[in-house]
Amino acid sequence: MRYADELARLRAADDAPTPPGWALSLRAARAFVVGDEKLGVTRKFVGDPSLIDRALVSLATSRGLLLVGEPGTAKSLLSELLAAAVSGDSTLTIQGGAATTEDQIKYSWNYALLVAEGPTQRSLVPAPLLQGMARGKVVRFEEITRCPLEVQDCLLSPLSDRVLAVPELPGAESMVFAREGFNIIATANTRDRGVNDMSSALKRRFNFETVFPIGDFDTELALVEAEAGALLRRSGVTAPPRRDVLEVLVTAFRELRTGRTGRGDEMEKLSSVMSTAEAVSVAHAVGLRGWFLNGTAGTTADLVSCLAGTAAKDSPEDLAKLRRYLEQHTSWRSGPQWRELRDARRELPGG
Amino acid sequence: MNLTVIGVRHHSPACARLVGSTIAALRPAYVLIEGPADMNERIGELQLGHDLPVAVFTSYLDDRRRHGSWSPFCEYSPEWEALRAGRECGAELRFIDLPAWHEAFADRDNRYADAELRYVEAVDRLCTEFGVDNSDALWDHVVEMAPADGLQDRLTAYFDLIRGDTEAGPSDTAREAYMAGWLRAACQAAGDRPVVAVVGGFHRPALLRLATSAPSAPSASSGTSAPPSPTPGTTSGPSLVGEAAPSSSLPGGATSTSTSTSTDADGAGRALAVADVVWPEIPAPPEGATAGSYLVPYSFRRLDAFGGYQSGMPSPEYYQRLWESGPEDAGRYLVSAVAGRLRKRGQPVSTADLIAARAGAEALALLRGHDRPARVDILDGLASALISEALEVPLPWAVRGTVSAGQHPAVVEMTAALSGERVGRLHPDTPLPPLVHSATAELERHRLDKPGEHTADLTEADGRTVSRALHRLRVLGVPGFRRDTGPATGIDPVLREQWTISVHEHRLAALIEAGGYGPTLEAATATLITQRIAGAAGNLAGLADALFDAALSGVTDLGADVPALLERGVAAGSDVTELGRVLSVTLALWRHDRLLGTAGSDTLGTVIAAATRRILWLAEGWHAPGAPADRNRIAAVVAVRDAALHAVPVGVDRTAAIDVAGRIAADRAAPPDLRGAFYGLGRTLLALTILEATTSATPAAPSATTSSAESAAVSPAASPAVAISAASASPTAAPFVGASALAVGVPADDLGSGPAVGGGTFPAPEQAVRGAFAAGTAGDWLAGLFGVAREPVLAPGGILDLLDDLIGGFGGDDFLVALPALRQAFGYFPPREREAIGDRLLARRGLAGSGRDLMRATVDPRTVAAGMALDESIERRLVRAGLVSAGEAS
Repeated sequence: MRYADELARLRAADDAPTPPGWALSLRAARAFVVGDEKLGVTRKFVGDPSLIDRALVSLATSRGLLLVGEPGTAKSLLSELLAAAVSGDSTLTIQGGAATTEDQIKYSWNYALLVAEGPTQRSLVPAPLLQGMARGKVVRFEEITRCPLEVQDCLLSPLSDRVLAVPELPGAESMVFAREGFNIIATANTRDRGVNDMSSALKRRFNFETVFPIGDFDTELALVEAEAGALLRRSGVTAPPRRDVLEVLVTAFRELRTGRTGRGDEMEKLSSVMSTAEAVSVAHAVGLRGWFLNGTAGTTADLVSCLAGTAAKDSPEDLAKLRRYLEQHTSWRSGPQWRELRDARRELPGG
Repeated sequence: MNLTVIGVRHHSPACARLVGSTIAALRPAYVLIEGPADMNERIGELQLGHDLPVAVFTSYLDDRRRHGSWSPFCEYSPEWEALRAGRECGAELRFIDLPAWHEAFADRDNRYADAELRYVEAVDRLCTEFGVDNSDALWDHVVEMAPADGLQDRLTAYFDLIRGDTEAGPSDTAREAYMAGWLRAACQAAGDRPVVAVVGGFHRPALLRLATSAPSAPSASSGTSAPPSPTPGTTSGPSLVGEAAPSSSLPGGATSTSTSTSTDADGAGRALAVADVVWPEIPAPPEGATAGSYLVPYSFRRLDAFGGYQSGMPSPEYYQRLWESGPEDAGRYLVSAVAGRLRKRGQPVSTADLIAARAGAEALALLRGHDRPARVDILDGLASALISEALEVPLPWAVRGTVSAGQHPAVVEMTAALSGERVGRLHPDTPLPPLVHSATAELERHRLDKPGEHTADLTEADGRTVSRALHRLRVLGVPGFRRDTGPATGIDPVLREQWTISVHEHRLAALIEAGGYGPTLEAATATLITQRIAGAAGNLAGLADALFDAALSGVTDLGADVPALLERGVAAGSDVTELGRVLSVTLALWRHDRLLGTAGSDTLGTVIAAATRRILWLAEGWHAPGAPADRNRIAAVVAVRDAALHAVPVGVDRTAAIDVAGRIAADRAAPPDLRGAFYGLGRTLLALTILEATTSATPAAPSATTSSAESAAVSPAASPAVAISAASASPTAAPFVGASALAVGVPADDLGSGPAVGGGTFPAPEQAVRGAFAAGTAGDWLAGLFGVAREPVLAPGGILDLLDDLIGGFGGDDFLVALPALRQAFGYFPPREREAIGDRLLARRGLAGSGRDLMRATVDPRTVAAGMALDESIERRLVRAGLVSAGEAS
């Protein structure tokens, strides 16, 4: 398991009280996510430390934790990290989707054994929720709002009564009580219709934490530079990405994401996702294009071509918005890279 | 030397407590406080027993800059506590910082802002180290919530770390040199008795260093060396403009306050040590400048409203409670206030939520190592419990700053509860702020102090002065001054104003309150209008009102940051028609208005440039292919045309306008009237640009084009056409030149079907008209074109024949569909041109007669009148029934 050594070091150094069923104390769990130089624990999540505090406290209470936010804001990464910090592993995962059924959440049966032996512990195939409750672990539920409502609602009694009924099993075995340490971290995407469709009964059992795109320009730029550089090296590109191109890229992404330029002009947000992850993939594509087509690091012209594919995707409206941005919000900025960007604006398809 | 320097954070209750206990324990001879030294003479005024918060307001005015700044005090301010405790133990009290009008404060509105925020790096490092979001949470963690013992050491460590080795900026260096002068003087005067100084912690390390260094050479007279004191050898001691202050006695100090720099020369022989003390001079404002400080009432809301570098500690109400009754009580207040506020607004807050909030806050406090929940613990707990949906913007206490738009209602109530609504009140014995005197004097001078009616003739200088004074009072919200009639916009042809003046019981109170904005009516109005502009981002009507009020009040100098504020305000506007209205009015004021003196004003120029840019931006995103023509929308394009023709010097980018026009004209998704209008706009501007490019010596007019590459691409292609148009147009008729180039029938290829011209193509009118001629949209398209540029119709070689053919070719049904819009389109022609059109159409058909006959209705006028009366009565009924709004009906 990745980070196993860090977890071990933290456990060894941990002297604070540990909530029942947790692998680490709250403080150590927090250090695992935000980093602790003294113990050689790296910082794994770029964001407000208070978000981590609130998330851990939510997990220590009886309410579940629901991470909401735009796609690409590292919600899933955060949920994995939290699960690993609290339970020591992050493998109990339910992937939500339109076709998710209760079987995949609670339990199902091995039908051959079921026919042969009837409903017994042996023929029962536990799904992540049942396992998490029985072992006192954190269960991750990805994209919960992509699931149909009735499937979502099967979480109600595990969250409020901390019990899951398996009516097929006889006697005491028909009730599985959650051991201390069980909780649910769900993630939901604000772009997928559905966050608001969650029943209010279920909403009440979750604490909502919104994960925002990185607020600080320099942090985001550094992250994009590091990640894109790593990806490029893996793709065999030896030229590091050009810093001025990345600056333009990150600025454009941030402005199109918030719908507001640095100068204060309001514009419409793009409907496609302008996350940091997306920026990294654009930077990667720019580097590849520049290297394999021209033998140099990617230029702003490459950037324009890649933006069209990655940012605008198939939406003609987004393409038009992007074009309008390149036409009208590049000329007033200083810096040669912006002028290059403006000159390259016709690289957009249909330009 | 027995000097104790307490480094504090302004508005920190923990620091205030430390200051109080230190002073009580040491019983110092002098208490020196970071505060405006020009208030020293009147330090007693602060101790009259005011209801806090109050502030010392300092204003400054010379021909270069106008500045107002506040030094706010609340009960838990360490500075205030130092005044209180120092007075209690009989110490002498001195403010030791430069006056707020000094250049060192030129960019500051709030003396007690957090200095260290300007040295962000160290703060960021500390935040990461302690795992907190920002400096406020860090401060709570390290100081407010930590045990009281050892506080002094922690403060020292904190500020030493932040100050580190970083070089302070020039303004901080000047202030520190000046304050150190006071420290040395006080130590000298006190002899062995203790001296306590209360200063911003950021300055402490430097002050300790400077104060203990030998008071020799240049630093000895740092009072004079540090500030660029304009008049050498000015009177020491307080110098307030308008009153020749006696330079000797500071309150309470008889012997030790000998001030003249000459005393140490002649008294050198046997004078007591104290007589040799050289107190730093209090800088006098430069020649020709007015500056003054006085007490004004303040409010928690204003204290909390400073943003960015100006901000100090947030959440005054919370810290007030913390100061009064400790963290548990402050926390309880916060939770109950938020719950109460939300419930009052009908938002559900259940007991279970409150329990969850409480539990969350306790757990967070435990996790973060606080004995009791701190401010952010409680806020985070409340947020976790009360917010059950995705947030639009991050929580304000996580990012530090004032509440931005789009906050969750629970968060809005939380910040409101933190901020509180306390309003300070001055003790009745406090001298009235100078505004009261100057306003009263001004009213008497113009004989406006008695109730009655007044008429001001705006064409006369006297009338304008009176009108301005009255408008300033109105803008400042002083009751009893009502304007009954007068111009409603800048281009309203009304030249007289009618005012009713009455004596209102709240006039004095309102004037005292307005005194916090400035010492004279003009200065106060300027400050207030600036604040209104800052608060009206995106609200164009509000911006326009503020600007018009500025014009009426004769306030021309609004301050250096107003253009940026205006730009931001306009850039947030989202309504093209409203922007168009603002643009055309502003443009008229900027071009023509001599009455209010706004012609050529830079402030208006900013608005013109910003509004033009914004309209172009919004118009390009407008997608409504079948929308009927809208006169207001077309008027907005007309306003852009005028701005691009006349306002290039203030930063309207003509090239950008041509680019955008080309794209909209070719955009099938745009409303037809906009396409027509931008087609006309683009051709007009392009022709003008070409003309300018070839007639002027330089290839491109300096600001007409940002990219000379593009204009170079234009000119060679267009040269033959320009020869014609230049010959036919008189150069003085500049605005019409473009139009006539259009009309002359420049060959289609030359005006923009080239590949790179302006990013779009402008086919010749004939082609364009044919392209746009579908029955449903032809009239709308033409309305746009005629609204912006109607010349191509009547000019020789124009499109009249073409239009005739096309309309003649309509089938009966198509014609009926197109008719209303066509009528609207031709409505842009004045009657004379309509007659000319009629003449030409008759001639084309070989018919005799006059065009005027065609325009005359053949029906009995009485029938028409009856029809119109019927229409009106129907409209009235529709309006009354609420089926159409009054504006729509016309």
